[in-house]
Amino acid sequence: MDVKRRDIIKALFGGSAVAALATSVGVVPTAKASEAEAVTPLPEAVGLMYDATKCIGCRACMPACQNENGLTPDTGSTGGLYQQPETLNSSTKNLIKLYTAPDGHERSFMKQQCMHCVDPACVSGCPMEALHKEPLGVVGWNPSLCIGCRYCQIACPFNIPKFEWHKVNPKIVKCELCRHTVGKTASQPACTRVCPTHAVIYGKRSELLAEAHRRIAERPGFYFEDRVYGEIEGGGTQCLVLSHVDYSNLGLPKLDRESAPSQVRRSTNFIYRGFLTPIVAYGGIVAIMRNRWKDHLEHVEKEKQPESPSQENRA
Amino acid sequence: MTATWQKCIRLKEPLLTKPFYVFAGLAAVALLLGLFRELTGLGYVTGLNDGYSWGLFKNWNVTALTALGSGGYAVAVMAWIFNERKFHPILRTAVLTSLLGYGTGMLALGVDVGRPWNFIHMNNPRNWNPHSVLLEVAVCMTAYALLALDMENMPPFLERIYRGSDPQKSARALKFFNFMQKTFPFGIALAFVLPSMHQSSLGSLMYLAGNRVNTLWQTPRLPLLYLLMAYILGFACVLLVLLLSSYAWDLGRDSVILGKLASVMSWMTLVWLAIQFIDLGYRGVVGQLLIFNRYSVCFLTETILLLIPAIALRSASVRATAGSLFRMTFLLTLGGLLYRFTPTTIAFNPLGDYRYFPSVAEILMSIGFTSIAVVIFLFAVKKFAILPASAGKIAAEAAMPPFDTL
Amino acid sequence: MCDDMSLPIPATFRNGVDRRTFLKIVAQATAAIGLSGTLAAKVVEAVEKGARPSVIWLHFQECTGCTESLLRTSHPGLAEVVFDLISLDYHETLMAAAGHQAEEVLESAIKKNAGKYVLVLEGAIPTKENGNYLQIAQKTGIDILKHAATSAGAIVAIGSCASWGGVPSADPNPTGASGVNQILEGKTVVTLPGCPANPYILLGTLLQYVALGRLPELDELGRPKFAYGRVIHEHCPRRAHFDAGRFAEEFGDEGHRLGYCLYKLGCKGPSTHASCSVLHFCEVVDAWPIGLGHPCFGCTEQAVAFRIPMLKPAEIVRPTPPATYAPISAPQGSISPFATGIGGLIGGALIGVGFMASKQFGRKTEQSTSETPKQDQPGTSGKE
Repeated sequence: MDVKRRDIIKALFGGSAVAALATSVGVVPTAKASEAEAVTPLPEAVGLMYDATKCIGCRACMPACQNENGLTPDTGSTGGLYQQPETLNSSTKNLIKLYTAPDGHERSFMKQQCMHCVDPACVSGCPMEALHKEPLGVVGWNPSLCIGCRYCQIACPFNIPKFEWHKVNPKIVKCELCRHTVGKTASQPACTRVCPTHAVIYGKRSELLAEAHRRIAERPGFYFEDRVYGEIEGGGTQCLVLSHVDYSNLGLPKLDRESAPSQVRRSTNFIYRGFLTPIVAYGGIVAIMRNRWKDHLEHVEKEKQPESPSQENRA
Repeated sequence: MTATWQKCIRLKEPLLTKPFYVFAGLAAVALLLGLFRELTGLGYVTGLNDGYSWGLFKNWNVTALTALGSGGYAVAVMAWIFNERKFHPILRTAVLTSLLGYGTGMLALGVDVGRPWNFIHMNNPRNWNPHSVLLEVAVCMTAYALLALDMENMPPFLERIYRGSDPQKSARALKFFNFMQKTFPFGIALAFVLPSMHQSSLGSLMYLAGNRVNTLWQTPRLPLLYLLMAYILGFACVLLVLLLSSYAWDLGRDSVILGKLASVMSWMTLVWLAIQFIDLGYRGVVGQLLIFNRYSVCFLTETILLLIPAIALRSASVRATAGSLFRMTFLLTLGGLLYRFTPTTIAFNPLGDYRYFPSVAEILMSIGFTSIAVVIFLFAVKKFAILPASAGKIAAEAAMPPFDTL
Repeated sequence: MCDDMSLPIPATFRNGVDRRTFLKIVAQATAAIGLSGTLAAKVVEAVEKGARPSVIWLHFQECTGCTESLLRTSHPGLAEVVFDLISLDYHETLMAAAGHQAEEVLESAIKKNAGKYVLVLEGAIPTKENGNYLQIAQKTGIDILKHAATSAGAIVAIGSCASWGGVPSADPNPTGASGVNQILEGKTVVTLPGCPANPYILLGTLLQYVALGRLPELDELGRPKFAYGRVIHEHCPRRAHFDAGRFAEEFGDEGHRLGYCLYKLGCKGPSTHASCSVLHFCEVVDAWPIGLGHPCFGCTEQAVAFRIPMLKPAEIVRPTPPATYAPISAPQGSISPFATGIGGLIGGALIGVGFMASKQFGRKTEQSTSETPKQDQPGTSGKE
């Protein structure tokens, strides 16, 4: 059976059009679709609220986090003198940074640690859920399932998970809200325990949000755009930030309302939901191939010449 | 030297040539560095950091080069589904390049992964995260490499055993070959479905990174674009391999087959470019191309490297001339590989001020892994009947004739 | 502050010190070492009950510096201590007796107060040559120590020499000088290292023993935590200079004159557990090494004093952030120019080879198009 060139081109166009349509339709946002895929915060979800306007930059939270988590202080280029990490890294889970406006008129501290997102991209991407959501919503890391693929580092919009590059047994290091002590030997994480001004506080996300709104209502126009960062960004985060300066200046990215994992799920579910498409495709191709194979064997038979070495491969 | 390729032959060339030593040397260096990495840690052999945690191994050897390794997939689709009989002689070459592309890609992946001892848990589906695109890539690629690709590459291997001197082994080889023939439609269908899944998922991988991938590349159409580019690069790889092999070992050049490959490839490239630009327009980011920065320069480079060869290869005379065919295909390959590589690295911007360039060891390892593929290819074509040849060459060489059906 | 004024004057008061003065002495003493006011009341109570503990003070390989430093106290002064708070039954520097009479005094004090006296030890004890490097009345230091320690109620080793060997134990330690702890194994020994030890630490320990009948909380080396719980670095008035990176680089330079941190001049504050930064010496404010502009040399620490050179910088055990902050986004990762070069070379080579290969193809097309195979060319490229 001869297939002409135009048939091939038709098939190619048709196929790619169908595929394009399929994926496009799957990702054109409809309200219904995003609602269906969005993740709501766990009712008991806990988190932190960091009010940058209360932070005095004492950095007591940094050594406290080091001690609580058994990390070696990052003395970096200070020759062993100071604990001076410049970014979060494999020995720093919590960092106080300073933002100064170029004209010097605006300053704000910023506490950087895992945001414990409501719908974390790292959890969505992790092949075996080594990064997983615990019952209280804390994003924890499980060393016995992690293969060290570092997809979490690619996925996280806040660039939080850090990797031990120079170890043979490398870990992914990030804040886990002291889940190894909270609820057992302590009632709150180390950073909130030592903060002298209660700039960072620990509690249920719903209560923290209420407190944030209360503070905003108390001083209208004081906090940036009268909103708290983390309420809706990227589907919401459990660690919230209040600040009087633009959140982007503090290194907090502008994120869509819909979380990235939700967008990915919409895109992949359209094709893979119930594994229907691959199964149907497989069935269809098997059907085509049985015809093709039959024809092929007949063709080979016809082409056989008497003097060639004997062929034993009949079907 | 035009010819008509009819059957596959085993080359009678000597194995240990100068190029073989060069590639074997590069391969050995890569393996030694890989061992060093296992004993010390990734930070010692790569330039990776917390911002750019995926580098040459994942983004080049896997994402980019397995697209080249989709030759077996693309050519098989043409040969079987679209019933292009004339492609059957080149099928063995195509699936071999696929096996080698995937094999070395997975080797690179194995070296790149930080805690490989936990791979064992991936055997238990209860540990699988059904939402993870990376899991889909890993499982699907492994299944494809272990099941489909291995099966597809069995015939030359079985054939050598069958023609060998041990009658017991011969009988077993024949039995297995007959089993393969009986189950062929089911096996080959797997070799069509699996790569469609993971080649498109390789595109979905970067979709999760959101606006950390530059807007010129970040689109929900990433899976589609990656899948089509895999087809295109698959054809390109087979074309290049056949051209080089026919030149090196005087196989003759079947301009009908090569011309057809090039023709389909160029059509698909034009369609691909159309989809990409329509997508740019739909998302309203065409204006980004007018800003002069490294992103627009990179995007336009890709486009030119794809467009010019695609247009040129529409001309039958270009397709018929070996030199221009090779040049155009080569440029197209560069453009396609650049496309597959860019969203993962060049167009990827982690939050914060990170810089990345692969270290010397990383570059050597990446080249070395590819060299392993070349070394095995050189070995295979001289031990098994893989490469297609014209009737004259077959007669002259009196080489081992192949099984007839596969 | 004790406010019970109704008790009669006990007979133990000497020198006609009135009650008011006595209470003041006790209050000052307890305040000087950070004990609470209620403890002062207990001290008074204990003394009035006649509980002036017997103190036997032995000397070994020492310079008598620790005794001398004790003489330079006034809150309470040594006179008040000796006359009113304790019963100093044997002290070679301060007692009038000598010779056989001194030996008898020692023996009788040990017997009379068996199980109750506080044994204070000053100086290291030599252990080489069976301890013959120190003999008093034909008894070696080791024997004297062991004998006196047998029935002691509390054992206090004052000064670095008695605590771990001190100066005599510096390399090559020809006499085998050791601290009391190494000789008396199994006994609780309060060690008060320092060269000299700050006298108020001894007073505090003694007063607590007098008042509460027990010794203060000790760390794993026997040092009272109230005095040796912190390293100097964590309690130093110049710490702000350290955190801000302001250092004296040379003696007498600008930074030194301005009172900057002495870390770069070898200050062992970060490695030294002591309380000199708050207690000071001789009751003169800032009369302590760093206060006077000289780096601490770690006199309380066995691993530091007389071992690590004076000007060699100390190791910071628990580093904390400095006075500067990380920016919102700090540059990370570096691009090796060598690697870039290699990458460029390879890229260029690849493209070059590609074009050369394509030219070869072109050349072959011009040749004959016959199907006869050419000669085998073993060296030809098999590149992908």
